[in-house]
Amino acid sequence: MEALAAARPRGRRWTDVFERPGVLASVLISPAVVFVLVLVGGPLILAIGLSFTNATSGELGGKWVGLANFRNEWSNPSFQHAVWHTFQFTFISQAIVLVGAGLLAHALSKNFRGKWFLRFLILLPWAAPLPLSLMAWKWMFDTSYSIFNWTLVHLNLVDKVDPPQYLAESKLAIGSVIAVHAWRILPFALVIFLAGLASIPKEVDDAAAIDGATGFRKFWSVTLPLQLPIATVALLFGIVFTATDMAVVYILTQGGPPPSFSTEMVTTWAYKTGIESGSLGPGAAISLFLLPVLAVVTILMLLFARKAEVS
Amino acid sequence: MASSDDPSRREGRYDRRELIRRAGVGAATVGFAPAFYGPLRFKGRWLKGDLSLITWAHFVPAFDVWFDKTWAVQWGQRNDVEVKVDHILNTLLTARAQAEAAAKNGHDIFFNLSPPAQHEDNVINHNEIVQEVQRKVGKIGRIAHKATFNPKTKKYFAFSDNYVPDPVIWRHDLWNGIGLSPNNWDNVRKAAPRLKALGHPIGIGQSAELDSNMALMSFLMCFGSFVQNEKHQVTLKSKRTVEAVKFMADIYQRGETDEIFGWDPAGNNNFIYSGKGSMIFNAISATRTPEDRNLPFANDLWIWPIPKGPYGRMGYEHVMGCWWVWKFAKNQAAAKKFLADLEINYQDAFVASKYYNFPSFPGAFGFSKIRKAVATDKHRPLGKYGILTTIAQKYTTNPGHPGYANAAFDEMFNKFLIPKMFAQVSQKKMTAQEAVNAADREIKTIYRKWRALKKI
Amino acid sequence: MESFGRALREKGFAYLIVGPFAIVLAFPFYVMFITAFKDQTEFYNPEVTPYWFGKDSPTWANATFLFENTQYPRWLANTAIVGLCVVAITLVLALPAGYALARLAGRVGQSLGVGIFLTYLVPPTLLFIPLFWVINQVNLQNSIWSLVLVYPSFTVPFSTWLLMGFFKTIPKELEDAALVDGASRLKTLTRVVFPISLPGILTVVIFSFSLVVNEFVYAFTFISPSENKMVSTGVYTDLIRGDLPEWGAIMVAALIPSIPLALLYNMFLDRFIAGFTGGAFR
Repeated sequence: MEALAAARPRGRRWTDVFERPGVLASVLISPAVVFVLVLVGGPLILAIGLSFTNATSGELGGKWVGLANFRNEWSNPSFQHAVWHTFQFTFISQAIVLVGAGLLAHALSKNFRGKWFLRFLILLPWAAPLPLSLMAWKWMFDTSYSIFNWTLVHLNLVDKVDPPQYLAESKLAIGSVIAVHAWRILPFALVIFLAGLASIPKEVDDAAAIDGATGFRKFWSVTLPLQLPIATVALLFGIVFTATDMAVVYILTQGGPPPSFSTEMVTTWAYKTGIESGSLGPGAAISLFLLPVLAVVTILMLLFARKAEVS
Repeated sequence: MASSDDPSRREGRYDRRELIRRAGVGAATVGFAPAFYGPLRFKGRWLKGDLSLITWAHFVPAFDVWFDKTWAVQWGQRNDVEVKVDHILNTLLTARAQAEAAAKNGHDIFFNLSPPAQHEDNVINHNEIVQEVQRKVGKIGRIAHKATFNPKTKKYFAFSDNYVPDPVIWRHDLWNGIGLSPNNWDNVRKAAPRLKALGHPIGIGQSAELDSNMALMSFLMCFGSFVQNEKHQVTLKSKRTVEAVKFMADIYQRGETDEIFGWDPAGNNNFIYSGKGSMIFNAISATRTPEDRNLPFANDLWIWPIPKGPYGRMGYEHVMGCWWVWKFAKNQAAAKKFLADLEINYQDAFVASKYYNFPSFPGAFGFSKIRKAVATDKHRPLGKYGILTTIAQKYTTNPGHPGYANAAFDEMFNKFLIPKMFAQVSQKKMTAQEAVNAADREIKTIYRKWRALKKI
Repeated sequence: MESFGRALREKGFAYLIVGPFAIVLAFPFYVMFITAFKDQTEFYNPEVTPYWFGKDSPTWANATFLFENTQYPRWLANTAIVGLCVVAITLVLALPAGYALARLAGRVGQSLGVGIFLTYLVPPTLLFIPLFWVINQVNLQNSIWSLVLVYPSFTVPFSTWLLMGFFKTIPKELEDAALVDGASRLKTLTRVVFPISLPGILTVVIFSFSLVVNEFVYAFTFISPSENKMVSTGVYTDLIRGDLPEWGAIMVAALIPSIPLALLYNMFLDRFIAGFTGGAFR
């Protein structure tokens, strides 16, 4: 790099300052950084501030209460259950997405008849505006009109009066919510994986073919390791988007069903406390629980991705 | 394509649609016009001020048509004010209110279906409006008073224009078949297993939603159990609560289906619309829709008060319409007058809402006048809506009874702690005593928090 | 002969995987389609099969209802405008940032990259209140431009990451060749790197647009008047009245943007994958 830079005559134009990598980098990065810092950083600091006060509706600040909100809210069993549910929701749905998208990406990397149309079908969940596709799912799970129950009843597999209730029974509810979330994230992960697969240099492909590695063996010893960095990033985004998402649960179950509230997540619990009930300080304290946890997860996964990349 | 122009199909079924059509046009006219030509079109020409409101999308579309296109427009012209009304889904009103309160900017007048106890410090004192209306039509109703007045600060933190009585809606044909009626809870308990055996169970929700909250808390009151007392202390832990919870658990275990745990506000309605349900606890939206959609059993749906329990017959209102004027509202004078005028002339609103909205100031449209009005309803059985007046007069009270509505009660409500308590026993996850104790503890924690904030 | 058998097996394997996934993922859209054109009375009748139309269907009634009684076309337009503007802003901010992080910044850049990413860890349900306050300060409340201002805050970090990954796949030799030829770094950027980044740009377009279309909390909070709402908020807040959602109209509203967008993404996907293929740079 230095040799190349030295090859250029210097000191002739003001733009030469941009020759220095450091300066150019700063100039290129700063608009993005400034923009995000102002719009996210500012409110974030305010929100963190809120969590140390007893602010209620309409206040952007309040009396300082130290760690009281954190102590009270984090020790609440309902909150702790919400944390566990969030963990279940995130990791199970992402596991499904990872395996599904991985398989699909591999299968879609070849050409076959009807591939374009099938891929179109697969992309639909991601293309639909989320609240609207969730309404469709709500209808499909409806306690009275569910298409699944209609089918099962007509196949004489379940009782007509007391069929399975996908949003009313504890385990079924969390299962449904996980399934719907995986449904809508899968195309997104698939696209990332397709990019990853496509970026594997052809030489590696050829080398593998020469070595006789095909099908599963190739997948395991060639594709998978090369996909690892990108898979990690895809998984990371998936985890973050899932853990901080409220829409799926809010629209489908509102955090129910009683008595277990198996679909109550940290996000919905924070919403009920802070926004619906007006207890802003405690609500912020609940929301902020995710921040350090996800930060640690992020950093660990990024380190892992970097290592995988290098090797 | 099926002919939706078939005239014999039009009436009744497309009634609702027609009305929504007009509502849309109306809303578009009131809301769209300023956007097109700029919000200040009328300023300086012949209208003096602006007034912005936000309210829910009323389930009776005709009401929004009347409100936006007739009432607001005419009032605006009479008072030199341009009135703009926004509508959103009611479940989202709270979040929006929160944002406006924090930003100290938004609509002049805000509406929600429950009293905004948590916003007391962000709103004006509505005493003036209440006095003005009382001068014209008489005293504010007991329910509205208890729901919107803070006895500690002596402030009306909202202006309630209407409330909705909460009856039970039941299939007369099905109950008749087993020779029973939901006159008291003992009968309901007797009937439930038999109805379920016929494939038509009853459904008292134990879900994380509004209808369940109302139904179960009303049920508790029939058994003499109250969440708080006049001094706003939590009084949930009692023998009566335990008995009530056990009773409902028995009803569920022998006579209901699992879906009652997974409903949203439309859930119990669908339960009836599908023809399966034989009784629910809901406002009259559950009878109006079958009428509009010409469902086969629409004439078999009867409206009765809440069944009687050992301690009497008492229920909450289904929802209570509360308007409030933010402290930061720009046109407070117009806002106050708008609300006062609305209530004074509430007769039209009552009729436009198809008897859903009962006036919070009984004098605005007296009970005897209401009886006369509802008697004209053509749906069968004739006179079925008359019972609403009885329910409103005798069997309805405010959430928080015998105390006042407050932020702690609200938070317990928003977290569905009462349905949780009932469901734990119904599903045999806890004994009744354990569940009541746990709920009592959890609710007391919430009350302690708000008491420390001096809000109760 | 053997390779023919293998090719057949591979193709069979592909259909076996892709087929079921496609069916499961697209099934709700089939339900949407049937419901959208079904007469509402049949809809509430459990005797009528949910898999097909009944006697009185298919009907245009729901679509007519949607277009005549709500501001749906306006919502579509609003969403499109906001989407395009946000995509543009995202590209302007993220392209340079992604390049810098991939090539120039070294260790500091890595940490900065992580730092930008951490902004995702805060739920919008916490941020929307202070952000609404900010929107009011700049007097953008109730305007779609409030969203154009705020949305890049979550499209930019993700896009920067995507582009960072993408730029790393472009062989350095290309840039070095340009530099050796005497071009400045800036010139290299504009004349050599950015033109090749078309696939990366397409990626950003797809992802950012999809984030915009799906967003709900900010769209709902910042904008109150019906005519300025987005598709996601407008349909959800205006077509559900108390305890009665207008299901038919909602389903029509859901289908209309989904199909074109999915087609668009599908088309972009081919270009975008082609760009990632190492072979492009022989």
